[in-house]
Amino acid sequence: MNGFKNLNARRLSVAAFSFSFAYLLSFLFEGQVLYSLLDLHGEDADRYILAAIIAHFAGLLTCGLLVRSQTAAKSMMLGSMGICLATAIPFFFDPSFLWMVGLIVSGYFSGCAVASWGYFLKSFTHKNERIKSCADVLIYSNLLMIVVNIVAMNRSPYFGLSLSMLCLVIGIVFTWMLPAKGTNQQEKTLKNKTHGGIKNPLLLLCLFVFIITINSGLMYQVINPAFEHQTGLVSWYWAVPYIVALAIMRNLPMKAKRSRILYIGMAMIMGAFISFMLLDRKASDYLIVDTLMLGACGIFDLFWWSILGEMQDYSHNPATTFGIGLSANVFGVLCGSILGMVVTSVGLPGADVAVIALTVVCVTLVMLPPLNRQLVLLLKSHVYLTAYDNMSQSQQTDIVYQIKTLDPLTVREQEVLQLILSGKSNREIAEALFISESTVKTHTRNIFSKYDVSSRAELISTLLKNQKIE
Amino acid sequence: MKPIREKRNLYALLFLVSICMVVWLATTFMSEAILALGAISLIFLLLLVRQNRLLYDAMLIWDNRILEVASVIISKPRRIKRNTEGIVVSAFGLIVGTEIYRWGLDGIQGARLHAVQIDRERIYLTFGDEAQTMRVELLHGITKKEKVLEAAQKLHHETGVTADIAGW
Repeated sequence: MNGFKNLNARRLSVAAFSFSFAYLLSFLFEGQVLYSLLDLHGEDADRYILAAIIAHFAGLLTCGLLVRSQTAAKSMMLGSMGICLATAIPFFFDPSFLWMVGLIVSGYFSGCAVASWGYFLKSFTHKNERIKSCADVLIYSNLLMIVVNIVAMNRSPYFGLSLSMLCLVIGIVFTWMLPAKGTNQQEKTLKNKTHGGIKNPLLLLCLFVFIITINSGLMYQVINPAFEHQTGLVSWYWAVPYIVALAIMRNLPMKAKRSRILYIGMAMIMGAFISFMLLDRKASDYLIVDTLMLGACGIFDLFWWSILGEMQDYSHNPATTFGIGLSANVFGVLCGSILGMVVTSVGLPGADVAVIALTVVCVTLVMLPPLNRQLVLLLKSHVYLTAYDNMSQSQQTDIVYQIKTLDPLTVREQEVLQLILSGKSNREIAEALFISESTVKTHTRNIFSKYDVSSRAELISTLLKNQKIE
Repeated sequence: MKPIREKRNLYALLFLVSICMVVWLATTFMSEAILALGAISLIFLLLLVRQNRLLYDAMLIWDNRILEVASVIISKPRRIKRNTEGIVVSAFGLIVGTEIYRWGLDGIQGARLHAVQIDRERIYLTFGDEAQTMRVELLHGITKKEKVLEAAQKLHHETGVTADIAGW
């Protein structure tokens, strides 16, 4: 019965977020509706787009300061969507300062609404299902966005705006129906098993997301305008490869190593920019470039969204974690957009643009393996540490002696190691053993050296990966 | 500890003064003097960084002290040195005045404490890395056996080296 309730709550939360996110994708966040409206009135799109992105970034980043409970998250989502609805009204009239104000205000509050959804993702979706919830949200919101885009580009931008606002209204209704209190027992159990914070994995993930998203920003500014004349095709095909990639990634078996597919994604991005450089601007060329580019985006997006989803278990405030993770994505888009704007304003030929994009891809390629390795290690260490907590005292002690070291550990080092495996930070270890933090750091370095590892995550992985986890 | 910190502060002061002088000379456009003082500033900066590291290690040694002794004889290849100022033996090394001797700070690659012998008058510590081994003799001044056992136990707990106690 409880599982049935959870399932319904999960579906409800997915529906609520999908509709709200569709508004964001089709209008506020470089959406086709916004572009069409600005184009219709002959307005300079860049400053509006930049203002909206920066405000959205600020909203995502600061939401955690305002939202500290699931009830507050629900209120924030409802209030923010209401504000977004109100600030969209001036776009039915001629351009005025209200457009800019509206974009900034709704950009900020939409960021808050998106980050707040972190609470519902954590509460209503079981740990192993989060990748599916994330995929569902991205697929449904993009499908809705395609419908709105087709209407906005082929019928009327105002009709598109109306549809976009309708999505928001439906999102509000579904959000209103969401239970305010978490029903997930998991939340309580894992709260006590938060190990030394998730600052490092989150920072690493943000760096990862930021770098791979720069290409998306570049794509928005460089590739899209080049195929503007293919209006009909662009309006419906634009996000199709993205949705297909998400669907494939979503339905991969749980055992499949998704991280390896990232390399296929990188190859696809490179292929997209090379194709852009070599091919013409015909419909068939657009199909090739867009399929490669958006397919890769789908792979990357679901990868980091799902990791962000997994991280919710180790966070006291899901709005902060979710908001920071997504803000890295928005910041990447922002930097890519600025880069794209500079490139287009200088009037560089397509070949030069492709070279710049490929340079970004090459940097990403160099950084991807170590970043991915560290990220996987850090996340693994959280899983192992949780398992370690469930072991008996004797099992915990055995672990230290089972793995051979290059040199025996001293008694003090054994004490430090036990505390590391308990998930304690350096400061906590120092307090527990009545020694200074720099002493703990020195012991930790010596332990690393004796186990021939280079980080705490690698140490935990090495020690616990072969243990029987009950 | 105190002399090491004072030396660090002196280097910091000298670096600050030299930088101020470079800035002042820059306003007078004396390029040769700027170059010379710039080079001096760089030297002071390097010395400051080096001394800062030394201070960090010294603080680590001080924080983990096991024994404070009266005097020490350090035997290096072809050199014997006697010292009687502020001597501290710790889990991570030895402070003798402004000099420090480190062990157990750089994992399995760095210098390690190899052996400890304690008799009625002295403690003998042997430490070093693959390239060089050193031996120090300390006049411990301890009269009670419990104190010696306590120090030996601490050393074992922190460094893993079992002291060889003789003559008690």
